[in-house]
Amino acid sequence: MERHDHAPVIVTRADDLLRLTTRRSFLRAIGAGASIVLLPGVFAACDDSSNDLTGVGGLPEGSLAFDLRTDVGIFRLTQTQEIIESTFYSAVVTHGAFNTFFTADERELFTDLRNVELVHREFLRNALGAQAVPDFSGQLNQTTLAQLLVSRDSIIATARMLEHTGLATLNGAGKYIRDARNLLVSGKLASVEARHAAALRDFGPPAGIAANTAFAGDDVIDVNGRDVKIEASVTVASIRALNIINEPLNSNVTITNPPDATQGVPTADFFPANP
Amino acid sequence: MDNTHSIVDGIDPEIMDRLVTRRDAIRKGASASAAVVAGLRLASVPVALAVLSRDVFAQAPSDILDALQFAYILENLENEFYRAVLGTSAVGAQNRAFDTVRAQIVSAPNGAAIQAAFQQIQKHEQQHVDFLRATAIPLFGGTAPVITAADFDFTGGNGTGTGPFARATAELEFLLLTAQAFEDTGVRAYKGQASRFLIAGNTNADIALESALRIHSVEARHAAKIRRIRRQRNPGETALRFSGYVRGGGIAAAGASMIASPPGEVVAALNAIYGGNTPESNTQHTVYNDVTSTATTIDASTMTGLGGALAIAGGDTQLTAATMAFDEPLTKAEVINIVQNFIINNSARGLP
Repeated sequence: MERHDHAPVIVTRADDLLRLTTRRSFLRAIGAGASIVLLPGVFAACDDSSNDLTGVGGLPEGSLAFDLRTDVGIFRLTQTQEIIESTFYSAVVTHGAFNTFFTADERELFTDLRNVELVHREFLRNALGAQAVPDFSGQLNQTTLAQLLVSRDSIIATARMLEHTGLATLNGAGKYIRDARNLLVSGKLASVEARHAAALRDFGPPAGIAANTAFAGDDVIDVNGRDVKIEASVTVASIRALNIINEPLNSNVTITNPPDATQGVPTADFFPANP
Repeated sequence: MDNTHSIVDGIDPEIMDRLVTRRDAIRKGASASAAVVAGLRLASVPVALAVLSRDVFAQAPSDILDALQFAYILENLENEFYRAVLGTSAVGAQNRAFDTVRAQIVSAPNGAAIQAAFQQIQKHEQQHVDFLRATAIPLFGGTAPVITAADFDFTGGNGTGTGPFARATAELEFLLLTAQAFEDTGVRAYKGQASRFLIAGNTNADIALESALRIHSVEARHAAKIRRIRRQRNPGETALRFSGYVRGGGIAAAGASMIASPPGEVVAALNAIYGGNTPESNTQHTVYNDVTSTATTIDASTMTGLGGALAIAGGDTQLTAATMAFDEPLTKAEVINIVQNFIINNSARGLP
């Protein structure tokens, strides 16, 4: 693990993630490799679906709510992540400093990432039809986006976080999927996200991680040779903490129903503070 | 967009492929569910197929054990391959076979980085072997067979030591291509086996599935790393991406243009590794919507929504992006066909 020069950011309640000071701390943490500690209360709060907002951010109520008792709900969460990823990479490749921040090799990487995430986004939108989440790419927090795009290091660190969160979510959600066709599609996406994650760590390893083995370092692969994995509740908290979606939509990213017992039971997460 | 709502079209080729296996199982006396029997009695092929496509996934723990034993053989193959390359095999002859290429790694530009990557990858393969033997296989009441480096012929010669991949022992580019091929085969093998772990309400099956998925993505990291190493050594070979994606299908996806006069068997092997019933170039993927009970097949190379977005900076077509965006499965039979000449025949011990 990397050495931390910063105190961990402690998040005790989901609302903490919405306070500006915590948001700033989170963004700094992404850049600096500090720990982010999500205490159990965060996830209790995430289950609170008592918001009675309508027309949130111009989108239908519940548009970013996930019923994880269905494969559709699991795919909707993945689609939400793909929308964030593809919008972020689109901003990276059209950034005024794209050519100065990155070498030709790195520009190929980010262009590939942009293209592939756009394909993932549109694939899931087409496949889910009326059950797809609406396109909220017009609802992104431009202040947050500008902060994330401020430097080469910030862009790579953000991309690493997005890709590892996406991969870990798919690895954690596979056990809840009911239909084999959907498990296959999830697997087709997951190994591509893993290729992204490894490439980004090669070009910009987290602080304190050996460059030659960063692609699959000991901080992201456990002692049994297994990759990162998180439960969906952590994914939702992570999306909200990133604060890349405008309020009030951002605080309406919620899990309405966790997976039920016939789908599977949660397992221990494996995910470093700064993947 | 290519939406097909036909109940038969909604069954993807992978499932169709497996139906054949299950049909054999049923013929051998395995029980068919009442729904299947009803479907067959109606003499309606589409209905019977549709029902079978669900019934086929009512897996038994013995099926999981078979998938784990299969994975165990593949992980041993990879692990012993890297040990021989690194000179740490327990079998001296395997180490000596790679003496020439090992010296080339040391003297290569970025040789230390290649060496470190191989060591890290080998460490993971050993961890996978240990995890399968000590934890996953016993979880389902099985015992892993004893497999050693002596069970393998890394030239692909089934024991002759002079198979079509022999050049991997003497040419670094050939070695790197072979390592990439092993890793991408591993990714595709796990992906193809994942559905065998689906048992509703079985916690052990969930643990095995989650571990298999997490190992699967580690293999993808390995494959991506080797692809990047190869691209750095061969800047003009753009089939190899800095992103580590698999681009296209068949031998084109291998990125083998720097290999002079590859043996015909190697070309055939690479076509099999990146081809198959669902080749890496496939762009059609089926999602089953369990809210509307509808299966939808989308062709990612022609679907709507991307407009001109892809042309902004990359110049790639939607078709090219679509082949990179999805990794594809291999069936167990396809994987065995690929690896069987690297494993010295020993059917009595379960080695193909």
